[in-house]
Amino acid sequence: MTRDPVTVGPDETLSHALRLTREHRIRHLPVVGGAGTLVGILSDRDIRLAMPSPLTVPDPERVGFLEQTPVSAVMTREVVTCAGSDPIEDAAKLLCRHRIGAVPVTDAAGRLQGILSETDILSAVVQILGGTEPASRLEVALADRPGELARAVAILAERAVNVVSVLVSPVRVQGDKTVIFHVGTIDPREVIGALEEAGFRVGWPSLEEDVRARLAE
Amino acid sequence: MKSALIWDPAVLAYRFRPDHPFNPKRLELAVSLMESLGLLDGEGVSVVPPRPATDAELHRVHAPEYVAAVKRLGREGADTREAWRWGLGTDDTPVFPGMHEVTSLVCGATIRAAELVMSGEATRAFNVAGGLHHAHRARASGFCVYDDLAAAIAWMREEHGARVMYIDYDAHHGDGVQGIFYEDPEVLTLSIHESGRFLFPGTGFVDELGEGDGYGYSLNLPLDPSTEDDSWIDLYGRLLPEVAEAFRPDVIVLQNGCDGHTLDPLTHLRATTRLYEETVRITCEVADRVCGGRVVATGGGGYAVWRVVPRAWSLVWAGLSGQTAPDRIPLEWLNRWQGESPELLPERLRDEPDAFPPVPRRAEVEATNLRTLESLRRQALPLLRGWGMGF
Repeated sequence: MTRDPVTVGPDETLSHALRLTREHRIRHLPVVGGAGTLVGILSDRDIRLAMPSPLTVPDPERVGFLEQTPVSAVMTREVVTCAGSDPIEDAAKLLCRHRIGAVPVTDAAGRLQGILSETDILSAVVQILGGTEPASRLEVALADRPGELARAVAILAERAVNVVSVLVSPVRVQGDKTVIFHVGTIDPREVIGALEEAGFRVGWPSLEEDVRARLAE
Repeated sequence: MKSALIWDPAVLAYRFRPDHPFNPKRLELAVSLMESLGLLDGEGVSVVPPRPATDAELHRVHAPEYVAAVKRLGREGADTREAWRWGLGTDDTPVFPGMHEVTSLVCGATIRAAELVMSGEATRAFNVAGGLHHAHRARASGFCVYDDLAAAIAWMREEHGARVMYIDYDAHHGDGVQGIFYEDPEVLTLSIHESGRFLFPGTGFVDELGEGDGYGYSLNLPLDPSTEDDSWIDLYGRLLPEVAEAFRPDVIVLQNGCDGHTLDPLTHLRATTRLYEETVRITCEVADRVCGGRVVATGGGGYAVWRVVPRAWSLVWAGLSGQTAPDRIPLEWLNRWQGESPELLPERLRDEPDAFPPVPRRAEVEATNLRTLESLRRQALPLLRGWGMGF
């Protein structure tokens, strides 16, 4: 999450809020009242919906609308929030379920602590998937029974190959689960050989597309 | 034109363990083949010994704590936990005695090459033992302890205020050099490699363009497996002149890892020796046009120790030094090494055009590569030409 995010007060104007979203290149502004309590959230979409359409004839009554209207007039008051201690997967579920782009993070008293955006979740996913450290990518098909993952990992451990990341996908392919390893070696040939010898189906980099199969064509 | 090969057999001590794929035998074979082909006694050619890099030179690109750890571990042996913290003591990059001393010598050799080129004593210089492009600021990785390329680039930046264009066509992404200069707009890095989807280190995608002031100065062209010579040379010939003319470097640094060859056991790109001749030819032509011909070159990866590395780097050296290498490999060289070689040594310096079977999905691979090139050009060239900055 982003700590100390850019915020707006409920009585500030929409034009001020619009300027903030542009200056900071953000799409969500938590609306914070007295004592730092979260009272609403304003998205760039909320602001744009309040603006006159560029296709209509200018309406004299609406000139200066953004300068005169307070944030509280268009903000969302029923805010979906999460706590700083919530697991990342729960926060991600919130974004999916409510189809929103960001959730404010609040403490037990409802005070704003930060904001978690789609981009934050994606960065976390990239890290979890192992895209940030030097590694070779392998997929291993895993029969759905206890001990299979341990058996595969033991083969890596025996060869002193560090596992940079491991992700077990519950989606079954031909009845097997898929485990994605990022292994910290420039030369994965030996571990691939050992895994295959132990009866595992291995894909380098994936089961669907194996570079060795391509070379053998 | 003067050219210098930086060489001292002392660099052969950069050796992890007897069965390790990064085998210094390849350096000995390469230099002895150059010698045997008569490429070390031509006009304007000299062989120059290296000097070790100083601590101050290493500290420009490596954290002092990391350098201290490499010294300590090389002296006292591996305390596994301590070594792992620095990316050492792994199967890829084990701790070995005297590690600091010999890696400093490899770094000093590339700096020596840079000294000769920047002082004008040589137009091109080649440190065949260099090219350790995976070493990071505080972490060893992928057979690389210190980053000699980064050390030489930093040396040229600080001692000469030079704008440096770094080109890396090793089959693996040059992640260490890219990372060290990721925010530096005076150093442009261009890495062409087998896509990180398929190969270590798993990075080097088109969207890695640099950060902060350095945004637009890191370029990556990830290739599809089984790219072969034609597509590779075609892409390089199109991209390099555009990038070099937009950046206007003072000097080019060229990393000549030869692990993209079809006989290399670690990769899948299927190039032949023609790639090395052509890449060096194109690079030197561009260097002549934009930076007075100045090229600092190194070796790099290359794990087909007997059949590929000596030939590839002899061709690289011939191209750099403007010499024509005869195609027949001298019998005395074959006789000297065949007994030790586990494989039949090739008798010709250049692979025959039809030596290897063609790739069945060549058209598909070429199309994928062209798409990658277009995506890189679209994203990087406007930034490099200043069009992305609002003017």
